Amino acid sequence: MSAPGITEPTEAIARARTGDAEAWGELYREYAPAIFRFCRRALPTREDAEDATMEIFMKLKDKLIQYDATRSFSAWLYKVSANHCWDILRRRKIRQDKETDDLENVPLEHPDPSQLDQLIERRTSEEVRKALDRLGGRARMALVMRYYSDMSYDEIADALGVRRAFVGVVLLRARHELRQALEGNASLAAGGAS
Amino acid sequence: MSETPGEKMNHLDEMTLLLYIERQLDRARGLEVSAHTQECDTCRTLLRALERESRLLTRAMLEEDEPLPSRIAQFQERARRSMQWIWGLVFGLAATGVYALYSEYIQPWQQQLEKAGFGGSNLLGLLIFQGAMWKGWQSMVTLLEVLAMVTLAGLGAIFFRRRIRRGSALALVFAGLCTVLALPTGASATEFRTGQSPTVSKDEIIKGDIYLSGERVRIEGTVEGDVFAAGKDIDIDGHVKGDVISAGRYLQLRGTVDGNIRSAGNTAVISGTLGKNMTWFGDAVTVDSTGKVGGGITMFGGTLAIDGHLNRDILFFGEEINVNGSVGGGIREKGNMLIVGPNARVDGPVKFEGNKPAEIAPGAKLASPVEFKQMERKRDYRESNYYIWRVIWTAAFILFGMVLFLLAPGFARETISSAERYGAPIGLGILVFFGVPLAAIIACITVVGLPLGVLTLAFWMLMLCCAEIVVGAVIGNLILGKATDTWGMIGRMALGFVIVRIVYTPLAQVHVLGLLAALGIWMWGMGAISLALYQRLQPVITPNMPSGPYAPPIPPNTTVGGALPA
Repeated sequence: MSAPGITEPTEAIARARTGDAEAWGELYREYAPAIFRFCRRALPTREDAEDATMEIFMKLKDKLIQYDATRSFSAWLYKVSANHCWDILRRRKIRQDKETDDLENVPLEHPDPSQLDQLIERRTSEEVRKALDRLGGRARMALVMRYYSDMSYDEIADALGVRRAFVGVVLLRARHELRQALEGNASLAAGGAS
Repeated sequence: MSETPGEKMNHLDEMTLLLYIERQLDRARGLEVSAHTQECDTCRTLLRALERESRLLTRAMLEEDEPLPSRIAQFQERARRSMQWIWGLVFGLAATGVYALYSEYIQPWQQQLEKAGFGGSNLLGLLIFQGAMWKGWQSMVTLLEVLAMVTLAGLGAIFFRRRIRRGSALALVFAGLCTVLALPTGASATEFRTGQSPTVSKDEIIKGDIYLSGERVRIEGTVEGDVFAAGKDIDIDGHVKGDVISAGRYLQLRGTVDGNIRSAGNTAVISGTLGKNMTWFGDAVTVDSTGKVGGGITMFGGTLAIDGHLNRDILFFGEEINVNGSVGGGIREKGNMLIVGPNARVDGPVKFEGNKPAEIAPGAKLASPVEFKQMERKRDYRESNYYIWRVIWTAAFILFGMVLFLLAPGFARETISSAERYGAPIGLGILVFFGVPLAAIIACITVVGLPLGVLTLAFWMLMLCCAEIVVGAVIGNLILGKATDTWGMIGRMALGFVIVRIVYTPLAQVHVLGLLAALGIWMWGMGAISLALYQRLQPVITPNMPSGPYAPPIPPNTTVGGALPA
């Protein structure tokens, strides 16, 4: 979860922890765009993402004291953001029952590799983003945590409140939902290559 | 895929391959998978497809497809700051209030009682023994003045911050406040007198204005400027050439005031001469048979008795007017009773809206007959009409709210978000509800001028009308969840508003509960509007915030596959 090549503003973080408004502004300028985009991918609407971003930074001011300076700040920030977004989604009951019921019923068959390859080949980033919007809350949240903010399985398990062993299942199901949204191809989505 | 079932059994499942590329397999299993994919074309193809899918996902998520919203670019811990500011202010005022109460009420009583041998009495006992509920008016006035000045300063800060940066704006406002506070002392030799009985003695001449506060304020000499007085009893036996602005239980004018009297208090008796007008917020005003008022009287309160002479009009909202002297102008009253005695003379028209017709004594001289209008009876909640009107008003408010939401959907959304923070809007609401009218009144009579005061009051009333709509919208959101579009917001507002009305209607019949509920709704709603407005008026603190393509601090996850290190 560290960010190779990116130097974290450790000095600004230390100053912000003591209540330095300028340092706080520096951190905000550095991280707000990334956090907004995280929220934008994770939450249903742009307004939700705007509200959530501001709420996260407000929350952060209180939480900054809890940050362990020996670890990656951006990783910690994404963790706080993920928890906040997931709380929002849970409050709105976007978590659907089937998402909890089917956790252990994961399809383990082989999808048709060439068909999947073609689907991936043909799709643009924009189409993927639109398809993401149609996913359930948990599926989208899992994909965003893993492929946007590069969170570990442990962190994803912690944020979603599932056992670590099921994180892979959640991610795989999310990919299937995404393929279904992209193509509407039941065989691909079900993972069922005949 | 053209494999037999037997061959298929040997393939790796998708889950295993996904865990492999995500480096979640243990070393032994990872090596197995690695070996298998080197030999099996099908699994290798699937592995590559999954890797491509990962990269596509990462790319799709990291790509900049829309600019950063200006709201995000502009936002910088401001709500948090504003909350701190509000709470700081509220607690500061509360502390001031507690200190004022202690130093002005409790401490003096304790000292007095201790002297009288009543040591150790409780607070209730002190109140009863001393009967001094209104004692220390000046401390209350001071407190309210501070509140009003702080509110004015806050409005000033909001106004200036649109134009200049935060620190400079605050500095400017506070410097302005200090200048305003400092000006009277230096510029016009204003005097301040406090104590038990601050007095302007008989032969004394005060060249400028004078501020007097104490239990008994006496003006026996001459004041060439204005008098600002606060106290239990205010006696003016001397000559005031300017205005009298006062707050106190009892105001007696036996001398002369050339200007106006603008006051709040319990009772005022005019036995001397008032050159201009009188504005009174309080219980009773009497113009004695020896009293003369050169202008008119505007009064909000209990009873007004005119036994002397009044040169111009009376505008009255209260209980009763009793005229037995002369009134040079007309009378306009909205109240319970109008009694015109046998010695009365009224030269202007008399318009009276009340519960029963005016009582006119036979000897009274009126320029024209009294225009009487029966006051509309307040609808009774036991009548069906009452409910019909409640429904009509509810519909009207919902319509009003709908128009507002459609006109300013962004602001409506921000207001509702502010209201959902609960603590800050209620804190600010308390301040705005009490502080703004007071500041407006002060602006009207002393500080800035009538237009600003009237505008402020009008805006305050508009906020009052919108408060219930805001609270309705919050309740609607609580029930149905947050709306994403304007019509969704309107629907939730309508639902919430109806619920608020249904709950509030029976509560309103219980006096204290109804009042408390109404105050709660008003303060919450007004606070939310003020908070949203405050946030809107914030300057752009981060003007150089990049709004175009932006490289996030974390690079994409480029999965390369493999086993976990041993």
